[in-house]
Amino acid sequence: MKIALLLAVAVLGAAASSASGASTPGVSATSIAIGSSGPLTGEAAAAAGVLRGADGYFKYVNAHGGVHGRKIQFTYLDDGYDPSRTVNNVRQLIQQNNVFALFSVVGTNENLAIRDFTNAAGVPQVFSAAGATTFGRDYAKYPWTIGYLPPYHEEGEIYAKNILKTQPKAKIAVLYQSDDYGRDLLAGFRAGLGGKARSAIVQTVGYDPTATDVQSQVAQLKASGANTFMIFAFGKFAIQAFVYANKLGWKPQIYVNDVASASSIMALDPASTAEGSISILWGKDPATPAFAKDPGVKLAAQVIKQYIPGGNPSDGFLVAGMAEAYSLVDALKAAGKNLTRQSLMTAVTHMNETSNPFLAPGVTVRTTPASRFPISHVRLQRWHKGHWVPFGGLVSGRL
Amino acid sequence: MRRLYAVGVTVLVLVLLPFVLSEFRTVQLATVGAYFIAVLGLDVLLESGQVSLGHGAFMAVGGYTTAILMANHGVQDVWTIPIAAGVAGGLGLLFGIPALRLSGSYLALATFAIAIVLPTLLKKFDHFTGGSTGITLFGRPTQTGHGTGYLGLTNNTWLYALTWLVGVLVFLLAWWLLASRFGRSLRAVRDSELAAAASGVNRSAYKVAAFGVSAAYAGAAGALYAINVAYVSPDTFPIQLSLFLLVGAVMGAFGSIWGALAGALLIQFLPDIVGVLPHVDTKQAGPATFFYGAVLVALILLLPFVLRVASSIADRSYSRTP
Repeated sequence: MKIALLLAVAVLGAAASSASGASTPGVSATSIAIGSSGPLTGEAAAAAGVLRGADGYFKYVNAHGGVHGRKIQFTYLDDGYDPSRTVNNVRQLIQQNNVFALFSVVGTNENLAIRDFTNAAGVPQVFSAAGATTFGRDYAKYPWTIGYLPPYHEEGEIYAKNILKTQPKAKIAVLYQSDDYGRDLLAGFRAGLGGKARSAIVQTVGYDPTATDVQSQVAQLKASGANTFMIFAFGKFAIQAFVYANKLGWKPQIYVNDVASASSIMALDPASTAEGSISILWGKDPATPAFAKDPGVKLAAQVIKQYIPGGNPSDGFLVAGMAEAYSLVDALKAAGKNLTRQSLMTAVTHMNETSNPFLAPGVTVRTTPASRFPISHVRLQRWHKGHWVPFGGLVSGRL
Repeated sequence: MRRLYAVGVTVLVLVLLPFVLSEFRTVQLATVGAYFIAVLGLDVLLESGQVSLGHGAFMAVGGYTTAILMANHGVQDVWTIPIAAGVAGGLGLLFGIPALRLSGSYLALATFAIAIVLPTLLKKFDHFTGGSTGITLFGRPTQTGHGTGYLGLTNNTWLYALTWLVGVLVFLLAWWLLASRFGRSLRAVRDSELAAAASGVNRSAYKVAAFGVSAAYAGAAGALYAINVAYVSPDTFPIQLSLFLLVGAVMGAFGSIWGALAGALLIQFLPDIVGVLPHVDTKQAGPATFFYGAVLVALILLLPFVLRVASSIADRSYSRTP
């Protein structure tokens, strides 16, 4: 009995109610609370570099006076790439930590799982680290949500256009992740091929994101007799796709999707495995020699050295996160001194940012209330002798 | 009488908590309520001398029953709870039959297999289950209060009230079940199957029934979990959940209701506890996982003892019956 009462007193005593006095949640005279969630642990943990990179850049901005005198307090929680944990994290960030906005939540399924909640609560869910087309397209239903990455549908179209231009007789095999992300890419790719899609694509094989291995899928694709291989896969699956194709003696022209194009993934053994592969380029990969003397890459290296302990200076995810963070800081500046959630949304839907030092030359961040794809023009790059070489001008799926 | 009094105080605390807790803590405690129900169900199973490492899978069955009914068939969330319990309970009965041939660690392994296979099955039939994207329930018309609130309560307080109302009801049901002839028969089967059979107890029927009841509890827990989080995906019910449920249930079996409650709290808050340890960077995978395991092992070793001592101090008549 005493135990029950003691327990009751303890629980009641420990309960701390956090009241918010400010008119805009998460914003005080000296600070702005921003929250995020991503896979800090687990299979997809490499993608958490985006959050660490953003965190480093916010610290850099804070050290240089912040935004309108306010310091950015960035809290990011681990969801292990499990959308139901993202839901819980976002609840905690909004209801407990009282954040002003969510920024760069990682993953398509993760952002899909939370957007009903964020939109009902009227909390900005901005510059999500996910490329599903729906985040830019369905703003009538989800006005508080906006993505950042080039939309997957458009990325697929860009590869299709490049194939139509360079090898019109291609016989194409596609490996894709069988979820919204992989299917979005595949749909865009088909749309880009247009009338040729039926004859050009000889085989498509999906894999489950929790599968252990894609060896049999790659063997199946090789057996189709294709001479072009689309890798619409993530992380270890992309690595396996390269390695197994090489082991099977298959030498197709490979296209690899943006999310698996980090130099750390591409640097495989033997070095010829990924030679000649094509991907899109929007952020500056610090491992790309063409950017070695670039001021943006130098700034990134400085931020990593000062604010991201243990950060690998050639990790492209870190720089991608800084690019997103730079755009958010721009939006926060544009939202004005009297910052509200609505003024932030107005700012992120009126972006015209040409100065982002972490984006590849020519790549800009442009949005209007009716066009919510921050990065819609990208460049192409080819893997050659152990690093990426950008080629051609700006491309877009819409042109 | 004293025990009823204890339950009364617990209910009073449950009613008062939302008034002092933040919205977020309230909904966390609602999730604890769902775990509590699953742990209670597993305790019923342990009472019959059987064990399950796959109760997360029965929670998943319940959760998905609720999600699919709410999303595609227009059934109000509250009414999906008994249906989810029924579907999971039915599957539990079916599984209970082959389980009769297995005992001890073999049964544990067989149930473990369900927990491993189910997420893959959920992804396989993606037209039905939404695949790895899962099913979002937030703001749907079948959600009571559409995620804004109900009966003058905020959404989170309403979820808390609903979960713990069901929690208290099924706790009383479990109490009555275990104190009745059913419970005595289960214990007879657990202690000596031969003696039980000789006394006219239908050993198979009771073991299968225990599996069914326990799975139905897990199903109701899964339904409430889905209603609380308003989202289900195959990863919502991972293998670790099944393991944690068993840890909670083992504590429950030793310390009765307080153990079950402690087990449910542990499932919810262990990650937070690990987070406050000094020098542990939860943003790195290695140390956090290590502490997670270490805390779990320590708890399994120490808690039954602590709980037993605590409960015998609290109520000397306590150890007589479960």
